[in-house]
Amino acid sequence: MKDSVFVYRNTEAAAGGGLLKDLRIAIQPNISAAGWPTEAGSNALVNFKALEDATIVQRLRQAGGYICGSTRMSEFGFGLQDSSAGEALRQKEADLELVLDLMGESRLAAQRASVCGFKPSYGLISRLGLIGLIPSMECCGVLSGSLRNIRDILKAVAGPDELDFSLPNEGTPDFSTQKVDPKKTTIGLITEALADLPAGQEKMFRASVDDLKKAGFSLRELSLPDFSLFSLVHKIAGSVEASSCAGRYDSVRYGQRAAGAKNWNDMYLLSRGAAFGLLLKGYLLQGAFFQFERYNAYEDACRIRARLLNDMQRLTSQADFLVLPLVDHDPSGTPASLADTYAQFTSTIFASVTGQPALYLPPAPGAAHSGFQLAGPRLSDGRLLALGEYLLNMRRGGK
Amino acid sequence: MEFEAVIGLEIHAELNCATKMFCDCPNRPGDEPNVNTCPTCLWFPGAIPRFSQEALEKASLLCLGLGAELQPRSAFDQKVYYYPDLPKGFQLSQAHLPLSRGGGIEITDESGKPKRLRIHHIHMEEDVAKLVHEMEGRLPISLVDFNRAGSPLVEIVTEPDFRTPYEAMEFLRALRTQVRSVGSSDCSMENGTMRVDANISIRPRGTDQMNTKVEVKNMNSIRHVGDAIAYEISRQSAAVQAGETVILHTRLWDPEKKVTLPMRAKFEGPCVPDPAVPVIELSHDWIEKMRSRLPEMPAVKAERFVKQYGLTNEEAMFLNSDGEVAGYFEALVGQGIAPRTAMHWLTTQLVPAVRERKLELGNSRVTPARLAVLLKMLAQNEINANAARDVLAHLIDSDESPEAIVTARGFRQVSDAATLDALIDRVLSEQPAALADLRNGQGKAMGFLIGQVMQASGGKANPKIIRELLAKKLGALS
Repeated sequence: MKDSVFVYRNTEAAAGGGLLKDLRIAIQPNISAAGWPTEAGSNALVNFKALEDATIVQRLRQAGGYICGSTRMSEFGFGLQDSSAGEALRQKEADLELVLDLMGESRLAAQRASVCGFKPSYGLISRLGLIGLIPSMECCGVLSGSLRNIRDILKAVAGPDELDFSLPNEGTPDFSTQKVDPKKTTIGLITEALADLPAGQEKMFRASVDDLKKAGFSLRELSLPDFSLFSLVHKIAGSVEASSCAGRYDSVRYGQRAAGAKNWNDMYLLSRGAAFGLLLKGYLLQGAFFQFERYNAYEDACRIRARLLNDMQRLTSQADFLVLPLVDHDPSGTPASLADTYAQFTSTIFASVTGQPALYLPPAPGAAHSGFQLAGPRLSDGRLLALGEYLLNMRRGGK
Repeated sequence: MEFEAVIGLEIHAELNCATKMFCDCPNRPGDEPNVNTCPTCLWFPGAIPRFSQEALEKASLLCLGLGAELQPRSAFDQKVYYYPDLPKGFQLSQAHLPLSRGGGIEITDESGKPKRLRIHHIHMEEDVAKLVHEMEGRLPISLVDFNRAGSPLVEIVTEPDFRTPYEAMEFLRALRTQVRSVGSSDCSMENGTMRVDANISIRPRGTDQMNTKVEVKNMNSIRHVGDAIAYEISRQSAAVQAGETVILHTRLWDPEKKVTLPMRAKFEGPCVPDPAVPVIELSHDWIEKMRSRLPEMPAVKAERFVKQYGLTNEEAMFLNSDGEVAGYFEALVGQGIAPRTAMHWLTTQLVPAVRERKLELGNSRVTPARLAVLLKMLAQNEINANAARDVLAHLIDSDESPEAIVTARGFRQVSDAATLDALIDRVLSEQPAALADLRNGQGKAMGFLIGQVMQASGGKANPKIIRELLAKKLGALS
């Protein structure tokens, strides 16, 4: 019978103590755990077993965490189709789930599972051993019902890795408990982020934001006129990176070799053609199109990305944090096209383009809205989690 | 119509680093196939490249040695193309932001005039795997050896300043000397640590138009580069004169047939910045620290040799065409040997003998100290030049001291007048015709008679004393 949560269950007993003692952590099969099937949801990696632990897995184990298994995922983590992200939490098979976040997958999956979802700052967590697709945007997200658990995970895994030189040497945020003073905290609301909300959603979102105001936070409307360009930049720059990077998943040295090739050039071409699913193939072909036929558009996308980064820095200098809606356009279905896939992530994609941390907070039980996202400047991860904890605590009547 | 060629070179030099460029695997491509590999250089899923500090330092020294300007900011891109020797589908290369820009080398052109040939830029990149094509019985098989995948390379891209095959060959010789002198690469075309592609186009002489170029690959020696360029110039000239259009493509040099043959359409893949390798930022202080590590460059050293040791320009340039030879020369002079003697014995005796035995000067048994002892024995007439050459051969092949070789093998020169007198008398009695010639004023006969006495002494006689004694004896006879 098909396991509804895991594609691989760890049968080893939990051992040792430490910060993460007794925490069961589910990973995806694109996060390397030595000897585990690590197929990243793709035929291109069928039967591939990780040769060594990813740095994140190594650090989780060192801190006493128990990696309980790997969950079903979309092909290379692109979108949430066929993914069981959040299911291990819902079925109480895990206390935390790690989900690679390419355009907001961890926050959207968290919303569907009614738990918290956190995407850390880009470059905060080593990518060694993560089998990714969009190296300049992706990072490991964390889902849990408890923000304290998420904070503990970050404490254990964040920071420099001598095996991943791409981590910027910017210092590690403070993940210890931090005091939040609403009177001294300004939260910005990006007007343009509400532009495409379905009817009624904006009203609900504004109602949820009113709760922040009632709690004593200062709210400030801010403008980022090019907010809609985050998706466009991601579509172009992300697909180009994916198209280039996916070249290494050749289905020859691992994965399924296509039969019937006349020579080795043929073998590589046929194997690649057979390896990827339709959605991902479309994405890779889109990237190849921009690489080979519209390189100027790719360069423009990179320039616009730099501009959006500046715009976002301007906003985060005007407010301590930002609050944004998170709208699931297709909570139960499977997107049929690239356009549908992107449409699911229009409200989360900004954080992948800028590399800033973002947190999804579910609504209080019985609330009339669907929760919201909080975001902060790069490396404000500790403060952002503290704000989230403060808000959850407030709902429970604490301060 | 008279044509002139416009030629630019792209030179790949393999850096002689201990490890590969993005992992800790040994940089030894020649080892047993696929032993020097790891998840990173095999590009297994999840692997992340870790850029080598040694590669950066050696590449930077190479750039500075060629007068290039190191850029404060450079970065790696994924150069997208697929081939079975690059199964990951992209090569890490600095396509947009190279390590250095500018630089160049001054050569002497065919007319004897100095000509500066400029370098456009130098960038770093990783090497690809090696394809091996074999027969398994009757079945042709192709194998991939990943030992070379990820080996550190620099690519030196010149301006199209070259007009003749001679200039290209001179440039490559000078480049090889300079790169070897900074110690960054062995630069051996024969061993594959230097690979040269030539981009060649032609245009009517006297114009400045830039026409469609043809890329030529697969030259295994500097001589082949010259031959391939010469062939390509004449092929393109004939084609244009026949009304054909030159199209952009890549050709392979066939050294057997001495022709270039079409290989494929020239492919330029796109380049995507790679965020997995951090941007390289070089501070002014770091660049100056690298500059302070540069050795005295060959051209500068040659100038000093002229002034300090009284050598001619040609002699000084010749010695400095190989940093090891120049260093050996100075060590020999430091042992008290006259510079001209040192230069002569080094270039006409020791270096050819060492190379004939396929040895390296630096690790041959003939240290400057041992050769100096031998040359001092020669200067003090303890042995003659013939014997010195024989002793040198023994020095190369054994660890015995020069004195021991001279004594044990009876090379010591005979300068004793009585012994030599007896030999001369015997020769004169045996060679009356030569004696008569000498008396009749035929100077050549003196040389003949000296040679006969030398022969009679078994090569040990001191020729200078023989000449003196012969002259004296003839004076007495006349």
